[in-house]
Amino acid sequence: MAKKTYDLLFKLLLIGDSGVGKTCVLFRFSDDAFNTTFISTIGIDFKIKTVELQGKKIKLQIWDTAGQERFHTITTSYYRGAMGIMLVYDITNGKSFENISKWLRNIDEHANEDVERMLLGNKCDMDDKRVVPKGKGEQIAKEHGIRFFETSAKANINIEKAFLTLAEDILRKTPVKEPNSENVDISSGGGVTGWKSKCC
Amino acid sequence: MEEPPVRGQEGEDDEDDEDGAGPEGALRKSPLQLTAEDVYDISYVVGRELMALGSDPRVTRLQFRIVRVLEMLETLVSEGSLAAEELRMERDNLRKEVEGLRRAGPAAGPEVNLGPDKMVVDLTDPNRPRFTLQELRDVLQERNRLKSQLLLAQEEVQCYKSGLIPAREGPGGRREKDTLVAQAGNASRNKEEKTIIRKLFSFRSGKQM
Repeated sequence: MAKKTYDLLFKLLLIGDSGVGKTCVLFRFSDDAFNTTFISTIGIDFKIKTVELQGKKIKLQIWDTAGQERFHTITTSYYRGAMGIMLVYDITNGKSFENISKWLRNIDEHANEDVERMLLGNKCDMDDKRVVPKGKGEQIAKEHGIRFFETSAKANINIEKAFLTLAEDILRKTPVKEPNSENVDISSGGGVTGWKSKCC
Repeated sequence: MEEPPVRGQEGEDDEDDEDGAGPEGALRKSPLQLTAEDVYDISYVVGRELMALGSDPRVTRLQFRIVRVLEMLETLVSEGSLAAEELRMERDNLRKEVEGLRRAGPAAGPEVNLGPDKMVVDLTDPNRPRFTLQELRDVLQERNRLKSQLLLAQEEVQCYKSGLIPAREGPGGRREKDTLVAQAGNASRNKEEKTIIRKLFSFRSGKQM
């Protein structure tokens, strides 16, 4: 606890229709594992993963939301604190793609204005069941000026890349001193073990 | 009125008197219960009595009048009984309808009256919804708070295990600023308290021993 294990803390949020694979995407990233049994997320959950970018240890606190409508009042209250939001759809589920505009509207309504957004078309390993062409995903992402990846939590395609890219984008616009100055202070005090000089 | 003597003579026709009522029984009936059959019985009785009076032309004329009256009575009686039968059927149908509505009423009634945004909860269903959104929100918040505390504690344990932190080193209150978990700060502050508590505990347990 005392050891400062990171320099920056980024809060990310996963949203999208129920069953598109948000939890699996996160599980692949955090635990490098995949589970085929579908357990609907209740309300909101989170995972932690520390990554290193540009010589900085960045702790990613990733909030995983329930896609089901009945949890929306709970999940939308978590938009506000997010610095990055991953909007996930399922390439084998047309409805989940159609709902992207609805999710984007949710972001506009509930998230910070400068939140970094990203679109993910998940389950890209299931090409035989694909109903959303990659081009359509690219197009809608372009329209909204956000990044886009096709991912597969199952086949481990683009998962890490997506998270790292999102973290990089947030890092790029993070003023080194201000919002996380307390974190930065510690690391500047002497790297990872800088806390020692601080508290003794 | 002059029947009794006549009837005495007629008594010999026992076929008509099998059930004690006989054709004459019809004459003792309430007019409201009269049937066409009764009217035929009456005309039979009256006819026989007229015949007994002989062939006086006045009797003959009276006989026609009586036949006419009996025909009118027959019409009235059969029409009346038809109407009564119809009414009886109507009544039975209505009764059935009422019964059906009554039976369906208590069960289906309230459901039908529910607004479009209402739902019915089966109170015998062990899996029925019972908690409010706020309660779920509170539980989730607590779960996530505890989870992050656990992660931090695990992290710390890992540091001690790997020798990154000498056991004597006290942690700073730094974590309070960790927005991830407001409570994480408590955890680190608790560290100092814990050692005190631990002392108290060992003291106490020592005493008890």
